[in-house]
Amino acid sequence: MAIDFSIFVEYGPRLLMGFWLTIKIVISAIILGMPWGLVLALGRRSRFFIPRLAATSFVEIFRNTPFIIQVFLFFYVLPFYGIRFPAEYVGTLALAAFGSAYFAEIIRGGIDAVSKGQLESARAIGMSDWQAMKNIVLPQTLSIILPPLTNQTLSLIKESAILSTITVNELTMSGIRVQGEIFRPFEVFIMVALLYWGLNESIAFLMRKIEKKANKGRTTNQNIAGKNTFISRGASR
Amino acid sequence: MTEETKKQDNFLQLKDITTTFGSIVALNNVNFSVKKGEVVCLIGPSGCGKSTLLRTANWLTPPDKGSVSLDGVIVGSESNKNMSLNEMKVLNGIRAKMGMVFQQFNVWPHLDALENVVRAQLVVAKRSRKDAEQKATKMLFDVGLGEKIHDWPDNLSGGQKQRLGIARALAMDPVLMLLDEPTSALDPELVSEVLNVLKRLANEGMTMIIVTHELGFASQVADRVAFMEDGKIIEEGPPNVILKSPKTKRLRLFLDKLNITSFTQS
Repeated sequence: MAIDFSIFVEYGPRLLMGFWLTIKIVISAIILGMPWGLVLALGRRSRFFIPRLAATSFVEIFRNTPFIIQVFLFFYVLPFYGIRFPAEYVGTLALAAFGSAYFAEIIRGGIDAVSKGQLESARAIGMSDWQAMKNIVLPQTLSIILPPLTNQTLSLIKESAILSTITVNELTMSGIRVQGEIFRPFEVFIMVALLYWGLNESIAFLMRKIEKKANKGRTTNQNIAGKNTFISRGASR
Repeated sequence: MTEETKKQDNFLQLKDITTTFGSIVALNNVNFSVKKGEVVCLIGPSGCGKSTLLRTANWLTPPDKGSVSLDGVIVGSESNKNMSLNEMKVLNGIRAKMGMVFQQFNVWPHLDALENVVRAQLVVAKRSRKDAEQKATKMLFDVGLGEKIHDWPDNLSGGQKQRLGIARALAMDPVLMLLDEPTSALDPELVSEVLNVLKRLANEGMTMIIVTHELGFASQVADRVAFMEDGKIIEEGPPNVILKSPKTKRLRLFLDKLNITSFTQS
């Protein structure tokens, strides 16, 4: 089967439209999901029972059910309660909820990786729990969680393809539609795959740059730093 | 005894403290108080409860039973174990006045030396950045880190880190210092630089409780030495009495052991 390059030129723009929507959806999902993930992470280590239960339930439910089922639930169940959004909004919300459960676990792991003495010394000097988190613990968490956050972001981009099942006209859906018109699956899905791959590769590249920057300034002398070296320091204040 | 002298005698008061960790009794109905300006050294074998006692003072390890007060103000008591946000606020205010120094230093590696000393002044004491930096610079000079104010903690030696920890606590103008084995994690040749800072503080009249294994240091700075074992204070008194002529057999055994180790080491 010969590749017909003219298809790239002719239908490329339509796929790019879908690609652009994918980017918008994923960025919105991250903007919504990360702060919510932080709230969930802090909720899970709250000293009060109710927030702890609520946060834990949320995380466990979204981590332990298939994303496609979550998408269906959001898409078909919300209208029963009179909540009607365009499909791409529902999809973004579902992706944000799904992502936040993983973000929460990553952030929680990062907080746990900062030694207990850091939080203790902050509390002992009179900081409230939140002040200690914000000033002392979370900045040290940042460089620990950057690599797993990157992974999760890449995985969200790939999961966003599932939104095609609820009529969101993102990259995968655009591909399916074009293919339905011209019956050239090879050219179409190669293009789709290349676009996903290019996006993920650029994000991974960018994040590696940021990681390097975040680790700069710390441990100019690893020998003296001794046992503290594994605790990365965030970007300087 | 007038009210005033009573208050002075019980500047810090720990009353009927019992703390358990699972089946382990860390503190067994301990009563302990410190006068204003007094330097008390807590000694005893590891696991005897001295660190727990110290951490009870600022409610870092809330006990199962008992209460703590500082200068007549309740720091915490068994009745308010589930503190309201308001009570937490009061506690945070009191903690700010109790400087704590840790065995593992616990300096903040993502902040440089100056910012380590500045941060709590801004966040807790609500000082302006200018005032806080001025104060921090002075404190760092006082502990001999004047040359290091923009160094990262990772680049400091253990002794320097500990002095940074002390400067961080002192910048809050504490009325009481709690020191949990401040020299135990240090290389032997770095111990004296930290002890010298503490000696100076003692001479300036700072009220201090020091958990330590440095008996020589204890005998020099302490007004009182308290020996603990199995979650109880077994014997206490002036250092020359306690360390030279112990009354109880347990303290005698403990001191003998320490002397033998220091002999074999030297």
